[in-house]
Amino acid sequence: MPLDNVVFWVFAPLSVATAIGMIVVRNAVHAALFLVVNFFTIAVMYLLLDAPFLFAVQIVVYAGAIMVLFLFVIMLLGVDRGDAPGERLLGQRTTAVILAVAIVAELATAIRAGIGFTTRAPGGFDAVNPGGNPSALADVLFRDYFFPFEVTSILLIVAAVAAMVLALRRSKSLSQREIETHAGDDLEAYGLAAPGAPGTVGEPSR
Amino acid sequence: MLTEYLPIVAMAVLAVAFGVASLVVSRMFRPHRPNPVKLSPYECGNDPVRLPRGERFSVKFYVVAMLFIIFDIEIIFLFPWAVRFRQLGLFGLVEMAFFIGLVFVAYIYVWRAGGLDWATSVEAPADADLASDSPRDPMAAADEELAAAMHDAEVAGAR
Amino acid sequence: MIDAPRVELWAILPVLMLFGGGLIALLASGFARRAAQAPFALFTLAALAAAAASALWLWNRETTTALEGMVSIDRLAVVATLALCGIGAFGAYLGFHYFERDDFRRNEFYALLLFALGGMALLVAAADLIVVFLAVEVLSLALYVMTALTFRRGPTEAAMKYFLLGAFASAFLLYGVAMSYGASATTSVQGLARALTGVGGSQPLALVGALLLVVGLGFKVSLVPFHMWTPDVYQGAPSPVTAFMSAATKVAVFVAMVRVLDVAFGSLAWDLAPAIAVLSAGSMILGSVLAIAQRDVKRMLAYSSVAQAGFILSSFVSPEREGIAAALFYLISYSAAVVGAFGVVMLISGGIREQTGFERFRGLGRRQPVLAALLSVFLLSLAGIPPTAGFVAKVLVFGAATSAGYWPLVLIGALASVAGAFFYLRVIALMAMQEPRGVDIADPSPLPRLVLAVPAVTVVVLGIVPGVIVPLLQEAGVLTW
Repeated sequence: MPLDNVVFWVFAPLSVATAIGMIVVRNAVHAALFLVVNFFTIAVMYLLLDAPFLFAVQIVVYAGAIMVLFLFVIMLLGVDRGDAPGERLLGQRTTAVILAVAIVAELATAIRAGIGFTTRAPGGFDAVNPGGNPSALADVLFRDYFFPFEVTSILLIVAAVAAMVLALRRSKSLSQREIETHAGDDLEAYGLAAPGAPGTVGEPSR
Repeated sequence: MLTEYLPIVAMAVLAVAFGVASLVVSRMFRPHRPNPVKLSPYECGNDPVRLPRGERFSVKFYVVAMLFIIFDIEIIFLFPWAVRFRQLGLFGLVEMAFFIGLVFVAYIYVWRAGGLDWATSVEAPADADLASDSPRDPMAAADEELAAAMHDAEVAGAR
Repeated sequence: MIDAPRVELWAILPVLMLFGGGLIALLASGFARRAAQAPFALFTLAALAAAAASALWLWNRETTTALEGMVSIDRLAVVATLALCGIGAFGAYLGFHYFERDDFRRNEFYALLLFALGGMALLVAAADLIVVFLAVEVLSLALYVMTALTFRRGPTEAAMKYFLLGAFASAFLLYGVAMSYGASATTSVQGLARALTGVGGSQPLALVGALLLVVGLGFKVSLVPFHMWTPDVYQGAPSPVTAFMSAATKVAVFVAMVRVLDVAFGSLAWDLAPAIAVLSAGSMILGSVLAIAQRDVKRMLAYSSVAQAGFILSSFVSPEREGIAAALFYLISYSAAVVGAFGVVMLISGGIREQTGFERFRGLGRRQPVLAALLSVFLLSLAGIPPTAGFVAKVLVFGAATSAGYWPLVLIGALASVAGAFFYLRVIALMAMQEPRGVDIADPSPLPRLVLAVPAVTVVVLGIVPGVIVPLLQEAGVLTW
């Protein structure tokens, strides 16, 4: 399929370039934008692999939601924070290099042993995807796994409650009395209370 | 196979072309007579108090981002469901309605608990019996917000 | 047109009661954020009673799976659900008292408690690894938030640690599910058991999957070396939350482990037993040794719960029904003792700024004889000293391990018990023999004392006449597939 090849050779270098760009640039917002482009190129790869559902997930969830969250975190911490001087944890870089080499080696072996460096499709993919991947997925997800699917909604509810309870701690939900009684705690929670202030007794000893 | 996605590609190309064309065309035809007031952001004549660099969001906006993710994940389930809608039949419809209904409970909770309120602050009296019935003066609320933000910035700077 | 699956909702009625109760409590806390919490607490207890009743109703049902093989209906799930509802009731009451005392209104507590319990009740019935994962996630997310509920620095930090490490453990769990699927082309517990039996030779993929699942689940029950979070979280979390999660999480996750290890990977039991023995021995030794060094009662109890997890796991080397029954008995006696112990600690520590250092317990026998007596009973049971349930539980668990031929493990367990007796008895000695110092900040209200007498009586009764529940547990230990 020549069209597939054309698309691949357009997007694969772009994918690698944006991934490198993300690591190299200093500005956190620029890095995030490189990551968005990278997510899009990966989505195209999924499309080439006959996985339209993953394509949609990649764009809607990753390029959409996860990236928004990343940008929020960057803005939350401040754009111009810059790098911390030196390594906080000893040996991080060395460990990272070793692990990176290990994962490259592992992937190479797995690909070599598995499908080989050829372009043949993995066997049985079409057999388990009658009518295309999304509809086969729909049959499994909404019929066989309908119960876990419904439980997912409970998980989403608990996640929403978690976000609300943890992030909106200083909201209307505090009564006047609580504000008076626990105002110090809030400062304390942000690490702003004077050391040795009352209330630090019984904290986890480190 | 990939040709099925041609309309999407066409759409994307059109979108980019429209954006670029708008900029180019307006650059070509607009008069170009700048003065300092026009160049200032928002053209209000005021210099912005703080530069956008280094400014930090309040954590309360994070809730919005979190909620966006949660409902985004709900949306992604709709995609295979819509593809297979006819074959899934009534069961599929009820199933999805139930799912959306459950996530909607989360939405109602967030809404009622004030997660979608833009400006909430510690100063706002929360108890119904403590709060005055009259709506608060919007300017005063804005001032409070500003004071709180400046206090936050001071505290952050002091650290 | 595909045929609609059968929706046997009755099979998960306890879970529905808990989740439904959680939804109602959540909406109510959204609409009435400033409302008094007494109605919430009463509603939670009612939901727990309904869940327990519906679990009992399932006792005489035929053992099978429902909802397309996603959940199992059997007596193991019933017994575990009943235990969970009991623990949940104490958690709800202790939480009510804790927050009411400081007028700290956080009505989401009850919704989160019910959601966590719903996840746990689902976990003990889960017959599919996907459901196991989802249930673990639901209960974990709820527990992370409950840990941080008072927003003080300690709890917030504890919740952060718990969340980060918990997310890491979830990845292991999910990876284990993927590996198991790779090995058997199914995620169902039954299907795995069928696919793995009768296949000759070692099955590396299935073994890797099983071990990754053990890592993911072992984190939740704080087995060494996945216990790092336990002391900080148990100490940092509000005491009622600690009481609830230390007991309920262990019950739910260990029962899930029974299904995963004894059923799904039952044919690999011979290969998995050494790994389980190592984890168990490590937890018993390290938990007991580190507990000795602690100067804070909550932290000491946290390390002791690491050791207790090791004791429970030692019964898993025996896949026989005695092993399962022993684990269930241990879980029940441990839950009663640990809920009670953290409940007493909550009353002694005085308010939301908990003070749980040893100095708080010095001479408590003079000032608060009732609380000191209650705590002594719980600690004796945790130490495994007769005539408490903890003793019987240890005998049963070690019996199961011995019959499977793992006597070195039993020897390590016995030594760890001796070390354990030292630090438990030290607290009792501190309360009974020393002079009190400083001001008394213990909670004077009588009702919590009365409530905490219930687990104390349970511990003693089960210690004297274990026969009242052992036959039931042995019936629950029969897993037919």
